[in-house]
Amino acid sequence: MSALHPPVVGDEFRPGLRFQRNWGWSMATAFFFGEIGAGLFLASLYFGFVPGMWTGVLVTAVGKTTGHLLHLGQPLRAWRAITRVNSSWVSRGLLAIILYTGFGILYLLSLADLSFGLFPKALEPWAAGIAAAAAIVITLYQGFAMSHSAAIALWSSGLMPVIGFTYALLSGVALLAVLGYDAVIAGRPGNLSLVKTLEFVLLLFALVQMLSLIHSARYGSKGGQESAALLTRGNLAKWFFPLVFAVGYFVPMLMIPYAGSSASLQIIALAVMAGYYAFRVLVFRAGMYDPMQSFKSRKRRF
Amino acid sequence: MVFDLRRCIGCNACAVACKQENSLPHDVFFTKTLSEEVGEFPQVSRVYLPTLCNHCEDAPCEWVCPTGATYTRPDGIVMVNEQTCIGCGSCIVACPYDARTLIEPGHLEAGLFMDGELTPFERQGLGRFVAGTVAKCTFCHERVDAGLQPACVTTCPADARIFGDLDDAQSPARQLIQERDGRVPLPEKNTRPKVFYID
Repeated sequence: MSALHPPVVGDEFRPGLRFQRNWGWSMATAFFFGEIGAGLFLASLYFGFVPGMWTGVLVTAVGKTTGHLLHLGQPLRAWRAITRVNSSWVSRGLLAIILYTGFGILYLLSLADLSFGLFPKALEPWAAGIAAAAAIVITLYQGFAMSHSAAIALWSSGLMPVIGFTYALLSGVALLAVLGYDAVIAGRPGNLSLVKTLEFVLLLFALVQMLSLIHSARYGSKGGQESAALLTRGNLAKWFFPLVFAVGYFVPMLMIPYAGSSASLQIIALAVMAGYYAFRVLVFRAGMYDPMQSFKSRKRRF
Repeated sequence: MVFDLRRCIGCNACAVACKQENSLPHDVFFTKTLSEEVGEFPQVSRVYLPTLCNHCEDAPCEWVCPTGATYTRPDGIVMVNEQTCIGCGSCIVACPYDARTLIEPGHLEAGLFMDGELTPFERQGLGRFVAGTVAKCTFCHERVDAGLQPACVTTCPADARIFGDLDDAQSPARQLIQERDGRVPLPEKNTRPKVFYID
């Protein structure tokens, strides 16, 4: 660490690195539920597993909405967040949640012949397509909302949306293997093999992205360097390595080749989601503003 | 606005004036003067860095706001409409200058005097804030509208803060920026601040 490295300051009247404190566990929970719900819906849609689609829609609609409402300072005005779709990723995300929930439920009701003739069967593929497209937006927009934040170097990375997308698909496939074990996996070695391959490839992909994110922060601005140091050597390392790396990556990677029973797939899904939730919370906790300006970094004396 | 760093003495009278003018809750500051020690013994000096919202031309807080609560007035002052703000904090994490504050309910319930009970002055002043919404420096827009200077500018005993129309080639602020090579904070963020520093 350079001698000119700025100090981490709180509310003191000193220039230095400052933690972001506004987005915390409630926002992390909302992101988590949004992504695992959308991922489960997409995986279930691919395998035609209807209970998985219902679960995906409900997890997103209830879990994500609750997390966001707990976070908002004025939750009763939440509807206003849809008014700036042209510029705000939060607005785009809210629109995607509405489309995903609305068309997802419409599609699932129609599949169950519960639309009472109000929704023509011929439009079913369209409803499924819109719900799937909106689910993809949900997996991506949160990363875009974070990477839009040029203020926080760790978040301001093009990898953020890709990580969200990868984790969403990974969690979705892992949950599908648990919830749809009897319907999709048991007695179908082809499906089991496909699910295991998907899980392994997505885990590997997520691991590479995570390492790249830390690497780019480590060699980025002062705030990014401090965030990376916090995660890898500082106060957060004791959570980051055991939860995100050991539980989130290595346990599932070691288990996948031998997995086949329902219990083993449950452990893999739990490990993946524990690692993912820890990642979301820790990345929020490690978010740090660059110092606005520091005289120590200048050559000129005052 | 222009900050003349040669003149700033770090008294933070600007912060006090701002708190008084805007009736800010305790722990909430729209402007601060940061101080830092530079050099090594025996050649050590203390330098000061006044900060506030930079009212950026390309304000990230404005384009991430999902409700349009953050907007720019025609004269360039970036404002927050507390009646439409939902308190999502997108603007807070987007602002590179950490210039925004979420007003917590506790901010409006606890006074500084009388064992935390609000004084009549505090009760009247805090009424302008809405809990759960974001607040920030407005360049004292009511004063600007009335043809006055922001409170921090009038209060500064060292004339270190210079306020004026940057589009007016004759304004002292504009001339100082041109003559003394004014620079903006964190130019790499491409926010085009309207607050300049000269030294």
